[in-house]
Amino acid sequence: MLRQAMAGDVIRLDAVTKTYQAGAAPALDAVHLSVAAGEVLAVMGPSGSGKSTLLNLVAGLDRPSQGQVTVAGRRIDNLSETALARFRARHVGIIFQFFNLLDDLTVEDNVLLPAQLAGASRRQARARAQELLARMGIERYRDAYPARMSGGQRQRVAIARALVNAPELLLADEPTGALDTATGQEIAGLLRELNHEGQTLVLVTHDQALARRFAARTVQLVDGQLAADSAGVPA
Amino acid sequence: MNRGPGVSRPRAAARWLAAIRTATGGLRRHKLQAMVIAAVLLIATASATLGFALLAASNAPFRHAFSAQRGADAAVAVNTAHASPAQLAATTRLPGVTAAAGPFATATVTGQADGQPPAQLTLAGRASPGGPVDDVVLSAGHWPSRPGQLVLDGPAGPTGGGGLQLGSTVTATSLPGHPTLTVVGFANSVTSTADGWVTPDEADQLQVSGAPASAQMLYRFTHAGSTAQVRADVAQVTRALPAGAVAGASSWLSAQDAETSNGSIMEPFVVAFALIGLIMAVLIVGNVVSGAVVASYYRIGVLKSLGLTPGQVVVAYLGRVGWPALGGALAGVVAGNLLALPVLSDSAGAYGVGRQFVPWWASLAAPAGMLALTALAAAGPALRAGRLSAVQAIAAGRAPRAGHGYAAHRLVSRLRLPRPAGLGLAAPFARPARTLVSLAAIAFGATAVIFAIGLHSSLSRAEQSQTHAAAAPVIMQGEGGGPKGPQQSPVQQEAAMVAVLRAQPGTAHYVAEYGNQVTVAGLSGAVFATAYGGDASWLGFGLISGHWPSGPGQVAVNTAFLTESGLTIGSPFTVITGTTQTTVRVAAEVFDPSSTPDVLGTAQTLPGVAIGQNLEQYDVGLTPGTSVATYMRAVNQALGSGSAWRAYPPQGGQFYSIASALIGLLALMVAVAAGLGVLNTVLMTTRDRLHDLGIYKALGMRPRQLLVMVVCWVAGPAVLAGLLAAPAAVALNSATVRAMAGTAHTGIPASFLQVFPPSRLALLSLAALVIAAAGALLPASWAARARAAVALRTE
Repeated sequence: MLRQAMAGDVIRLDAVTKTYQAGAAPALDAVHLSVAAGEVLAVMGPSGSGKSTLLNLVAGLDRPSQGQVTVAGRRIDNLSETALARFRARHVGIIFQFFNLLDDLTVEDNVLLPAQLAGASRRQARARAQELLARMGIERYRDAYPARMSGGQRQRVAIARALVNAPELLLADEPTGALDTATGQEIAGLLRELNHEGQTLVLVTHDQALARRFAARTVQLVDGQLAADSAGVPA
Repeated sequence: MNRGPGVSRPRAAARWLAAIRTATGGLRRHKLQAMVIAAVLLIATASATLGFALLAASNAPFRHAFSAQRGADAAVAVNTAHASPAQLAATTRLPGVTAAAGPFATATVTGQADGQPPAQLTLAGRASPGGPVDDVVLSAGHWPSRPGQLVLDGPAGPTGGGGLQLGSTVTATSLPGHPTLTVVGFANSVTSTADGWVTPDEADQLQVSGAPASAQMLYRFTHAGSTAQVRADVAQVTRALPAGAVAGASSWLSAQDAETSNGSIMEPFVVAFALIGLIMAVLIVGNVVSGAVVASYYRIGVLKSLGLTPGQVVVAYLGRVGWPALGGALAGVVAGNLLALPVLSDSAGAYGVGRQFVPWWASLAAPAGMLALTALAAAGPALRAGRLSAVQAIAAGRAPRAGHGYAAHRLVSRLRLPRPAGLGLAAPFARPARTLVSLAAIAFGATAVIFAIGLHSSLSRAEQSQTHAAAAPVIMQGEGGGPKGPQQSPVQQEAAMVAVLRAQPGTAHYVAEYGNQVTVAGLSGAVFATAYGGDASWLGFGLISGHWPSGPGQVAVNTAFLTESGLTIGSPFTVITGTTQTTVRVAAEVFDPSSTPDVLGTAQTLPGVAIGQNLEQYDVGLTPGTSVATYMRAVNQALGSGSAWRAYPPQGGQFYSIASALIGLLALMVAVAAGLGVLNTVLMTTRDRLHDLGIYKALGMRPRQLLVMVVCWVAGPAVLAGLLAAPAAVALNSATVRAMAGTAHTGIPASFLQVFPPSRLALLSLAALVIAAAGALLPASWAARARAAVALRTE
């Protein structure tokens, strides 16, 4: 059953359609979706169902072909590239499956980067980075380069980087997909902790176990359409 | 091994083509890189074609015309009062004389055409243009058939023949009764044996009564390849005639020098630009192919695993460069030919051999050479691609880049720079080889720009020194016709003109200029002397050595004088003007590009020259802020229509105009090529780093921040390129100006090379940043506009 949109929603999608090529089937087809503040939503579905497209639209990384996308109380589908970049820097943190760390920057510089781009003062940004690196348990790797770290360590760096600007919304695209089971569980634990502290989280995953342990609500995408929206994990 | 059924040669060829198309992804997918290669080849080939054309223009047309017209190795002026026709005829049978023509009666008159300043004309009386020597080519009209008709030397039309056309009239103002001659034709003598031709009877009549009867004999000799040989030949003729019969002689070598000097003076800088263009083309093409190979490692690996042979890989990547290179080279030949036309047309008409074109071999050699160099530049990366095994290629294509540039990022992150700028400045260290190529392209481009600006300054100084146009923007010339209104003698008219100059607001200086040929003891050829009626130091002569004559008995001379005489600063010598003999001392060597020795001094020092009949003009300097046009109008109005004197702008300087335009164009072409090289590098880097750019965008980097970062990728190399380009351009300018001066038979004042004060050089070095920013801006804006999601998908 689809959840009704409410005034305090962090995310609201109204009839959002995304078509990559004219004449081709839409990657997302008239999707309605809303996510409340503090909620953890798991987006599930087979490959090609439109999960990553949904995440990109919510993150402001791409624009819908039709429909409205409202995030953190702001409609973002009609923003300019500059305004979208500002929006991402302030309101959204993104965690990628393959970490997407910048190999030529140290761990600390990777974490600092979003804060620096958002114009934070050097001292404040450093303090926040130190705090996050400590929280992720990787402060001793501060001057290391990502390529020399394990997958789990790299994902912790990515989470620290996503959180450095204290975003209202954290988006995670298969955050454990590139990790072994034990490391995946560690990362899932970290995300759960963040949610317990009030962080709104949207999690795209294939991993039913992860979603079950972690998400209070799950939506199922099939061929670009919202097939199910339920508490817990769909059967 | 059985090739299997149906595997014929055509099918094999088709498979090759298909494989190559698949390997490269086709040119359509790499339009911009193809355009960059084509544009760079166009520029380099155009420069090379122009260079070859100028090299050819400096010699070939003259020699061709000289041979076709059976040009005179020597034109000997004789006083027919001292030599009989039989004696002159005997000289044609002297040993070593292979052909001769003449005697042709000659007359020197002051000719005045409507609206033209007066000019001294040497007219020869010839019944026909043809003959065994100096077969004059009639280019328009007909040969004089009766008295009163004149054929002028030079091309017809508004740009030739001194602006005269068929039917124009020339008044011989130096003769009693001012006889008028009608221009009935235009002709060309390759060695310019006369300024014009009339019937033999007319030539006799035009001779001033009482003056020695003069004629010219034209000779071709067995050996006349050098000045010494021509001198020896003329000396033999002189010895064969009674004393005093030979009044002078001119050599075909002087004519060749005069006719070909402009093209050959331009050679050094055209060659310099062509070399810069050539090196840049090799660098940029190598970079393009190398970048394409590196970017396609994964594709190469996959295709090799599917059966693509190393040979097919090599051919594929050479082909990727070949088509745009061929297109660019062919367009470059056309552009080079078009560029060469205005330069070549300067000298083409003079020879009477029709229009002068770029020689066919130049149009073939330039593109062939450039294509060969391109193939060489492309061969290295293409062979490397061919040698890679499938596994190596796939691994190299997938593996993250080696850890170049990490230290640079660390260092830059500690600087208090805006983060996008810091990231951009550190980026070049990730790909040092590509950065070096960019740096070289920017350095060459900046060198070309700085060099062009310096050369323009040097040539401007040379022009000002030669034409005195800056110091004396107005010249006063007597129309030579004597009083038109009130009856005044030439002296009275000159005095009236000087009074007008004195009274005219804006007059700062003026000085009378007299000129005539003189004889210098110890020099066998003609020497031209210029005497000034007063202080002429303000005219802005370029002093090569010594000091401007500061007292009586001191003269300035040009480099040709010192070369021919072997004298040095301080040396005394004797000047014979015909009426007087004066001993003078060399005080200065001045910039006066000519193969004829020149002597300059005051009227007091050269009294035989400073006489009324040798008065050529008055040079007038204006006070600052005075409008030249307004001044000339006012002076001419004050003089009135009755005066023989008129104000004119200085003449000459066309060479400098053509050279400056050409320098500007060549510099622009090289700068554009450099910009394209940067564009290509930034584009390749952008493609390599598209995924990283997506990450930056996902993390909140705004388009403008991204633009700054991408432009900063080339800012560091550009600063370094500017530092390298500045001294390189200074050295190149110095070498080129010296080479040009050498071709023009002159030394150069040190001031011509001192055109780069440190502040100016520092400012000009910014050209490197401008080229880099201009080249990077387009791909940077593309990167800035790219959607983050699209960029992130390029994993």
